[in-house]
Amino acid sequence: MSVRKKRLILLAGVAFGALAGLAAYTQQSKPLDPFEEAMRQRQMYLETFGVLPGDLFVEEGKELFYRKGPSGKTLEECDFGKGKGVLEGAYALLPKYFPDTGRVEDLETRVYTCMQRVQGFKPEEIKRDEVRAITTYIASFSSKAKIQVVPKHPQELAMYNLGRELWYTRAGARDMSCAVCHDQHAGQRVRLSPVRSPRQGLGNEWPAYRFEEDKLYTMEDRIDFCYESIAIPKPEFYSDVHIALTLYMLAEATKAGHSFEELPFFTR
Amino acid sequence: MRKVLVALFALALALAFALAQRYLTEEELKRIQAGGKAYAEVFVNQRPDQALCSIHRNRLPADLLPKFLEEQRALIKYPASGKLMGDWRKGGAIFNNLQKANCFSCHYGSPEHLGGDVGPSLEKYGRNRGQSEAVQRYTYEVIYNAWAFFPCTVMYRFGAQGLLTPEEIADVVAYLLDPESDFNTKPAVGSR
Repeated sequence: MSVRKKRLILLAGVAFGALAGLAAYTQQSKPLDPFEEAMRQRQMYLETFGVLPGDLFVEEGKELFYRKGPSGKTLEECDFGKGKGVLEGAYALLPKYFPDTGRVEDLETRVYTCMQRVQGFKPEEIKRDEVRAITTYIASFSSKAKIQVVPKHPQELAMYNLGRELWYTRAGARDMSCAVCHDQHAGQRVRLSPVRSPRQGLGNEWPAYRFEEDKLYTMEDRIDFCYESIAIPKPEFYSDVHIALTLYMLAEATKAGHSFEELPFFTR
Repeated sequence: MRKVLVALFALALALAFALAQRYLTEEELKRIQAGGKAYAEVFVNQRPDQALCSIHRNRLPADLLPKFLEEQRALIKYPASGKLMGDWRKGGAIFNNLQKANCFSCHYGSPEHLGGDVGPSLEKYGRNRGQSEAVQRYTYEVIYNAWAFFPCTVMYRFGAQGLLTPEEIADVVAYLLDPESDFNTKPAVGSR
């Protein structure tokens, strides 16, 4: 049975359980700790199915990683920052500057550019879901790794500065910025969700499977979700906007000595 | 020499004007274009008051406050009917809608949804405050333009930014103040 099919069957079964759990969860009058609730759900998935949904994305990503592109090459020929085909701990160093593209890239963008430059795919042939799965597979090699994003190259520093400015810019009909919630109200709750600052490790759990949405979210997906909730149109995938914000957040998390969660993480 | 000075002065003035209008530099705005047209436009069209809050990291220096507050106050408009309390049922639908006013995400007190704690608790708002003209006016104005009271706060400027009409804001005021409103008669989700 293909990974995709297995995933479908599992997710169908799991969706029912999640719904039942969620119904009980939101009907509760006392605020539950969302982290504890996620861990409870995670345990339920493991006991019922023996596998976590995120791991199925990892499996799918692995298949795609070793798939030959039009050039006849697999992604083993791509340098993700620690040399060709080295995946161990690579995600924990990203985003960083890559001399071959002359650009600062996060993991998702790196997958996207390598699929073109190394594997010979045309941009329009590259499916977002495939990049998502491959990113999850590679990120799984940095599970619980210490985040080590330290901008040094002039382009990395420029990207950090752009990310910081975007972080503080108030814009749109709702007058929002990242900072006005994630810095000024860090530690408080928006509905059930605790708000964290980069210094508190914000960003250390992606890619993650969100059981409420029954979807896998990468860092870029999660940034888009934030923009959606403050009514600002989503930036294009693999654009400097995503990379700059990711670099800024993870560089701040690095300064505070944070590590990644188990990747892919399991969350609300 | 004088011409040069005048030109320099004009340049400095133009620069100061540009800086006052926007928080991001031209160079940064150019890079943001990569995020797409719709995204970039939001930042290109940043309002001067938004820029001011961004520059000062949401803490305006004291000398800027009187002018800022005055400008924000001038943005407040009232319903044509002059009534600041509308229909509490309609107001509840607005208060408790994530896509509409989204009040409960930050404020505690809704009998329909568990509220957040980013903003102050509004539990039994009307029961504690009564319905005097002063209370109605204050409540209406804070919802219409929170920046006229709390400069650069995270709360949306519902009226000033056109997110709600004056009549809709009056409905929300009623939801909070009317003694008959579910907000004052039913227990808040999460209360014991």
